Amino acid sequence: MAQPQTQAGAANGISNGERQDPGGFKLKFCTVCASNQNRSMESHLRLAAAHYPVISFGTGSLVRLPGPSIDKPNVYQFNKTSYDSMYKELESKDPRLYRANGLLNMLERNRGVKWGPERWQDWQVGAPRLEHNTDRGAEGLEGGVVDVVITCEERCWDAVIDNLMERGSPLNRPVHVINVDIKDNHEEALIGGRGILDLADSLNKAAAEEREANPSGFDSGNAASRAGFDERVPEIIGEWQERWPNLPAVWTLAWF
Amino acid sequence: MAAPALSVEQQIKQLDDARKLVLSDANYYPQIIQGILPIAAPGARVELRRWVSDFLAETFASPSIPAQQKETMSLIVLDTLKSMIENPQEDAAVVKSVVQTAASVYPLVVRWIINNSYDGPTWEKMLAIKSRILRIWDTAATGVRICCIKFAQRVVLVQTKGPDADPRRGDPLEVSLSMVPPNHPLIPPNNLQAEASGLLDRMLAVFQENISDAILVDATLNSLSILIRARPHIANRILNVILNFNPLKQANSPMTPKSRVMIKSMEKTTRSLLVHILKRDNQHPLAGKIQQYVERMMRSKSDIFDEQTRKRGPPEPTDGLDAAKRQKLSAQVKPAAPKFHVPPLAPGSHSVAELFTVTTEEGLKGFDVAQLAEHLVVQIGITILQRLDADTLNQAVEGVRKRLQSMSAAQPEMLNAATAPLDVEEDDDYEPDFYGAEDTEQILNKLDGAPPLEETKLQAPAPDMALGHFTLPAPPPLTHEQVAQVGQGTVARVFEVMQTLEEKGKTSKAGINRLAASAYDRPAWITIITRLATRASAGLEEVNAVKLEPHQMPPFSLGNNIRESLYRYIFEDFRKRIDIAVQWLCEEWYNDKMQMKSGEDAVLHYEKWAIKVIDGIVPYLDGQDRALVIKFLGEIPGLSMEVLERVKGLCVNPTTVNMALQSLLFLVAYRPPARELVLAAVEDVWNTYEDARPVVVKLFTKYRPDYAERIKAVEEEKKSNGVAEVPQAVAA
Repeated sequence: MAQPQTQAGAANGISNGERQDPGGFKLKFCTVCASNQNRSMESHLRLAAAHYPVISFGTGSLVRLPGPSIDKPNVYQFNKTSYDSMYKELESKDPRLYRANGLLNMLERNRGVKWGPERWQDWQVGAPRLEHNTDRGAEGLEGGVVDVVITCEERCWDAVIDNLMERGSPLNRPVHVINVDIKDNHEEALIGGRGILDLADSLNKAAAEEREANPSGFDSGNAASRAGFDERVPEIIGEWQERWPNLPAVWTLAWF
Repeated sequence: MAAPALSVEQQIKQLDDARKLVLSDANYYPQIIQGILPIAAPGARVELRRWVSDFLAETFASPSIPAQQKETMSLIVLDTLKSMIENPQEDAAVVKSVVQTAASVYPLVVRWIINNSYDGPTWEKMLAIKSRILRIWDTAATGVRICCIKFAQRVVLVQTKGPDADPRRGDPLEVSLSMVPPNHPLIPPNNLQAEASGLLDRMLAVFQENISDAILVDATLNSLSILIRARPHIANRILNVILNFNPLKQANSPMTPKSRVMIKSMEKTTRSLLVHILKRDNQHPLAGKIQQYVERMMRSKSDIFDEQTRKRGPPEPTDGLDAAKRQKLSAQVKPAAPKFHVPPLAPGSHSVAELFTVTTEEGLKGFDVAQLAEHLVVQIGITILQRLDADTLNQAVEGVRKRLQSMSAAQPEMLNAATAPLDVEEDDDYEPDFYGAEDTEQILNKLDGAPPLEETKLQAPAPDMALGHFTLPAPPPLTHEQVAQVGQGTVARVFEVMQTLEEKGKTSKAGINRLAASAYDRPAWITIITRLATRASAGLEEVNAVKLEPHQMPPFSLGNNIRESLYRYIFEDFRKRIDIAVQWLCEEWYNDKMQMKSGEDAVLHYEKWAIKVIDGIVPYLDGQDRALVIKFLGEIPGLSMEVLERVKGLCVNPTTVNMALQSLLFLVAYRPPARELVLAAVEDVWNTYEDARPVVVKLFTKYRPDYAERIKAVEEEKKSNGVAEVPQAVAA
């Protein structure tokens, strides 16, 4: 298992998928899917369980959950409906159906992670997120910015990039936007979550190494020769892709 | 300033608390900024300098601080920024944050200078920071370089003409050259504009140079959108450079995983930017070119990457639902079940209890479950089964199985199910034929119930009945009737499939060379059936055919069975299915030829079935079926006298005589190899059916000119004596 030792001597006990907080430098992550329900939330939980600062969003116009038939989805507003109220509503509508198709399980998981689905386009990047302090993975994200955005579908990646261009990059802050293509079902979301955690571990390892002792100056000779984190990202993704050939990835460096 | 007694960790903790305070209330920023700047003094610990520079970058990027407040604060931090960035020994992370801060501060300072043209010193500081950033742009670490690109982008944005905006309004994105008065003493607009133009060129150089560093390309592309949208007069310049950029240039050389990621990234980012522009302004003068570029890029990209994907072999991420892949992945997901070791039994005899005892713990082994109440045992059993990991269970079962195997290997003579007379009397309650399904327990039960005959008395005590080698008795042989019945059922099913398939309209015919399974429609299935009939059992039937002829029951022949069904199928609607008949007979003919090639005593089918088919058709034909008969006779691969015999038969009937002779004429005209044969048949017609003679004369004078004379002769003779001597055939 790829397990970065970001801090020398940090105990790295693993039990039931949770691991001890290794401390040290941590990249801040953001996971994105269409409805901020399945894929982004699975990876949100995974990254949070691995003690990474993480937030998550959906890029769709509305939160859409499967209903009793394909033309009758359950539709909710982003930022306005909590996972808990969705859970209660679906449970009262048809507990057997929504238990059987995994929706209640999913919402059960999600309501333990944060209050409700958030829409990417409504996210004011850089606005303090202190009121989100009870969300899983909120620690470290008080400033409301992230270093890496991981989308779970190419369409979401497109939406994120288009939206970042639309915003005009007022923050001047670089952000790596990576798509990891995951099919929208519970099983694939689990697998994708593992893949994303592995990616996060690999990226964080490189970032932590860069932050590690850097006694010499940035423009002295060896600074240029030593590869920094940003520069290593394509290589890290390339290696990761070899490990996860079923989760095709796209990457770019964008701006908040 | 923090007390020196505090450790770095403690100081950072304090700083984090201060940060949380300002995040919750932006009013404290001026105070906190003032307080933290000294911490980042040049000699300070790198952790502290990083913290301060990160904090500054965050502060000046924050959307929750009013622009006016930021502007004021920007004047305070310039000194610190300048000293940090001018320190050649500065940590790269600090510099990265400082460049980001500078990019955010630049428009603020420019606006300040626009409105306060006296403040030369502030502008000097900003200029120093700017020139330092532009100097390190090409040499610094990549992480810093991308921020330099972004800084340059902000400078270009500020120093080019934008839409008129109120200089007092806050948004730094709106600060532009339009706000600078033409006679400004510190920042003459022309100089600014010239500088911006130069910087833009330098930014765009990344697309022209042979730069392989995707991150620089991406960083540039992703910063250009606002320049294109908000600065129309430089948009075309930017777009033209991008449209001449080929992100896939490096895809020709062999790609490493890293270069794949980079090339894909540059291509996708370029496309995203262009699509973004197109989406917002599809009336753009360059829209057509952009559209073309995007389409071309998508094509070449899929060429390059799909090609590679294909070359890399089947296990590619095209379908995540592939079972094999899923298995592999889920194997990773599931932690391997703990290894469960079942110790093999020592040689010698063992009790059943020992056989099934898989624990190694002595205390557990000694425990007698019989002490417990039955319902309790049941409860425990159910709970265990519910919780038990399937893998562990399998391992345990496997272990016990191994024990059984080793025991049976050691004592093969002990029990042989095939010979041991376990069920001496015919037991009513089970079928000896089917006891294969019995499990170990049932067999053990049976053993317990077996009478203590001498033969069954084994050396070991009764519970020692380890299972010996057990073979299933062979099933009783099927009778011919059963075989035929089952075979018939199979054939029926094959035809059922066909009935469910769609009947295609006209399909192009590939003749004998058509691929049987090129499409899943009815014609394809029929091709399969005809080949099953003709080829599948070809060469297997001769022995049967010869030896079993005298039997009352014809031997079951798969081929003939299918043929019968096919025959019936055709005659359900022979007018429509005559094509199928022809196709089938072609296959028969072809197969006969192949069989004759391989062996002389081949059983031939074509002739037999051709006659059968025509015999089937003939009774139903009427005068309207000329096309059908011509088609059939014209297309079946072999004509024989016998077939022509059937056609001749049609001449009896005045309604079909024309048709019969016309089809014969067709054969004479268009099947030259059969011409003599057919003419002989015509001759027969002449001789046999007097009523047909006029038609024969009409149709065949071209080939047999003497018919005309003959009919004259005959008529004359008739006139003279009425009894005509039939003249001998001219053609033999």
